[in-house]
Amino acid sequence: MSTASTVHQTADLGERLMEAMRFRTVFVIKAAGHQFPITETVIVCWAVMAVLIIGSFLLTRKLKDVPEGPQVLLESFVGFINSFSKEHFGHRWARYAPYLGTLFLFLIVSNLIPVLSPMGAFGVEPAFTIKPPMRDINVTAALAVTSIGIVLVSGLRARGIAGWLKHLAHPIPFMIPFNLMEFVVRPLSLCLRLFGNILGSFIIMRLIEGVAPIGIPPLLSLYFDILDGLIQALVFTFLTTLFIAEAIE
Amino acid sequence: MEPLIAIGASIAVATGIGAGIGIGIATGHTAEAIARQPEQAAKIQTVFFLGIALAEATAIYGLVISILLFLKL
Repeated sequence: MSTASTVHQTADLGERLMEAMRFRTVFVIKAAGHQFPITETVIVCWAVMAVLIIGSFLLTRKLKDVPEGPQVLLESFVGFINSFSKEHFGHRWARYAPYLGTLFLFLIVSNLIPVLSPMGAFGVEPAFTIKPPMRDINVTAALAVTSIGIVLVSGLRARGIAGWLKHLAHPIPFMIPFNLMEFVVRPLSLCLRLFGNILGSFIIMRLIEGVAPIGIPPLLSLYFDILDGLIQALVFTFLTTLFIAEAIE
Repeated sequence: MEPLIAIGASIAVATGIGAGIGIGIATGHTAEAIARQPEQAAKIQTVFFLGIALAEATAIYGLVISILLFLKL
């Protein structure tokens, strides 16, 4: 009797794990003879983009000389990004501050938006759930490739082609293969770090909800959903900043 | 074959031990450094974040390998 229930429980946990890693296709766009499946990750990313675009449009519509209300928040965020950028890029801060701000906002909102997800209770399943988009490796890979592309282009612009090639052999010519390898290793580790952290905490939360559905999940959710998401958003932006600063110094 | 894959997945997750020790050492020394020179806190935190991000990477690689193995079960 007890073995049967244990077996049933482990199967249930395995199922939960598989469910956590599955991407449902919401609908398929047919265009030019190809089929583009739109998964829930894409939908959540679109929602995040809509929140950011509409939010920034509404917040910047009536700016005053003396800030009040939401404008104070806006100005402190923009001021924070600008001073952060000045600290690392010196006089070239204005070129990179907008990208860093956009990246940071996108990561924060998409890591925090699952908190708004409706929960099922008393056997009722919610109509939809919001899962963190960063648990899809395609999203983090796209962000990492964008970041390393900016590092490459800003390095070429700051040093010129000859200077960039010379910098590849920076301390000694022996380092050329290692310096080239950085362009593969850096985006790979950026991508896998964000993906692994978010997917890991998502799976842990699903498992905890399966074992102890009452009382414990909200407490642990503070760490796994909110703090971890914020730290990873910060780390991703921060590492991108350091890579760009190193490329243009 | 299946038990072997499960054992392999659990061994892969053991990479977390190294990351845990590394992050612990880094955090301890950061706290010491900030206590000694609080005015340098911003610069110390910069190095600290870079360090823990790199130390953590090994644990994340282990997790990714373990998930890939788990999907084969």
